[in-house]
Amino acid sequence: MSVALAKSKQEQDETALAGRGLDGLNLFVANIQTGFGPFIAVYLTTQGWTQTAIGTALSIGTITAMATQIPAGALVDAIRNKAAVAFFSIIAFSGSALLLAIHPTALWVYAAEVLHGFSSCTLGPAIAALSLLAVGQAMLGPRLGRNARFASIGNGIGAALMGACGYYVSERAVFFLTAAVTLPAVLSLLPLVRLHDTALPARPSPGGRPARAPISSLLRNRALLIFALCAMLFTLGNSAMLPLAGNTLTKEAGNFASLLIAGCIIVPQLVVAVISPTIGALANQRGRRLVLLIGFCTLPVRGMLFATLDHPAALVLIQGLDGIAAACVGILVPLIPSDIAGQSGRYNLSMAFIGLAIGVGATISTALAGWIADAFNARIAYVTLAVVGLAAVLLALGAMPETRPSPSATGPDGH
Amino acid sequence: MRANAATSRRAARPKGCRVLFGTVGALILVLSGVWTIVLAQDQPQTPAQPAPAAAPKEDQPKKDGKAPENVEMLPSSDAASMLGKKVKGPNGEDLGLIVDVLVGPDGRPRAAVIDFGGFLGVGSRKIAIDWKALDFGPLRRAGTAILGLDRAQIAAAPEYKPGPPGTDVVTAPTNSAPPPVDTQK
Repeated sequence: MSVALAKSKQEQDETALAGRGLDGLNLFVANIQTGFGPFIAVYLTTQGWTQTAIGTALSIGTITAMATQIPAGALVDAIRNKAAVAFFSIIAFSGSALLLAIHPTALWVYAAEVLHGFSSCTLGPAIAALSLLAVGQAMLGPRLGRNARFASIGNGIGAALMGACGYYVSERAVFFLTAAVTLPAVLSLLPLVRLHDTALPARPSPGGRPARAPISSLLRNRALLIFALCAMLFTLGNSAMLPLAGNTLTKEAGNFASLLIAGCIIVPQLVVAVISPTIGALANQRGRRLVLLIGFCTLPVRGMLFATLDHPAALVLIQGLDGIAAACVGILVPLIPSDIAGQSGRYNLSMAFIGLAIGVGATISTALAGWIADAFNARIAYVTLAVVGLAAVLLALGAMPETRPSPSATGPDGH
Repeated sequence: MRANAATSRRAARPKGCRVLFGTVGALILVLSGVWTIVLAQDQPQTPAQPAPAAAPKEDQPKKDGKAPENVEMLPSSDAASMLGKKVKGPNGEDLGLIVDVLVGPDGRPRAAVIDFGGFLGVGSRKIAIDWKALDFGPLRRAGTAILGLDRAQIAAAPEYKPGPPGTDVVTAPTNSAPPPVDTQK
């Protein structure tokens, strides 16, 4: 009796420790990713790169991420040891950052972009898979809420830290700093190393054969297809909005523009950090559909507000809505595939499918909004994005089924 | 239980291997694509020389040890690289990075395109600045050019647009003196 109790106590400690590990992992990985954003363009410019060459390098990164998304998802599914996947992905980030810092010449920058593009495709699914292993399907919603909280704190700290580093030290130093942050990220993996041993119960295996669902069954899954389409439309409306707002600020806000743009980046992160655990619990208690609709509804509202108000302070406040959407979508992108395919051995492939849809949406979004803002004006671009966002809402409202497992599987059903 | 796990793991291996090979194949495909682009581009991003003074650079037959006759020394005090260098305002504030130079048919530079504003690469805009409005004096020692206008004055400037009708160019204010020479680094 006392032995059993002690054992369960130890198990509890291990679960708590794994939770801490996931907290740290999300924090530091988000920190690392900040350096790889639009900032690369600034850095390469300081290294005497022409705009055309920078465009080529960034396209290589985008194309790699798109092309390897699906194979990367399948790879993560096939490897039992998700912590190892996360480890190698983080090491690849570190190598990528060092290549950029040490050798900003064509071949090395392209190599860094390919390395980063591929490893982002393996790291995201690996973190989600580790979360699922750590807490189980029933508690995944709240866990993903916590992931989103720590990731957004990491994003916020990363933006502040790297902004300061670029300003006071040098643009190159940002990438050395990025490489240094991979160390704590790897350390956060330590408590998660054991997790792959428990990966098996997800698979009922008559005759010892792993019952992995056929890939075609995923493509025939209506909920997954609708969610992919929803996610694509949402991203199509969403991802160009911040750059557009930044542009407006640079034009309108004079001396304080950079500060206000920093605000536009950090305010949504703050909102995510505050609300995402609540959203995660909400997804568990009231269902995924509600959370999806809450998140999506903010997009057309934000687009219309941007189109009608152009006071700099207002723009920063409106960005708070982005935080709500980011929390909802950030939690649902790993959660809905886990509802659909968490038990089928195709969890990461399903996530990769959603990831690909998001990538396509983001790529079209920037091109579309840039073209509209150029040919007409920013206001019309905001309205267009808002309309696309509205389409996402309507699609989710009309066609997206509830994917939450029946209450008996998730325990007591809310209140 | 353990044995079961072990067998299922062994059974899973071939499939895992197939996926692994598939992924490695995809990576190789991407890498070879990148390599083609690298070769096709022929390293275009070596920092462009400013070279407004027409420096004849014909093919130079390599003679061992001795410089060929059509080569002359351009002292570093006479010219400096300018792509990617900072442009600062009269009070030393950062205005942006030089990303392009617009040159007239006579080979003389007419305007510099700077990437202005933004934070971590978000929200920056390209603005063309009249060549005469820029002071390149500090470029060599401090690595920056100076513009006699502050952020607020060029914030509202129209965006640089390459292409047929032409682009708006920010000029120096007509009523003010040229930018002060002594500037902080």
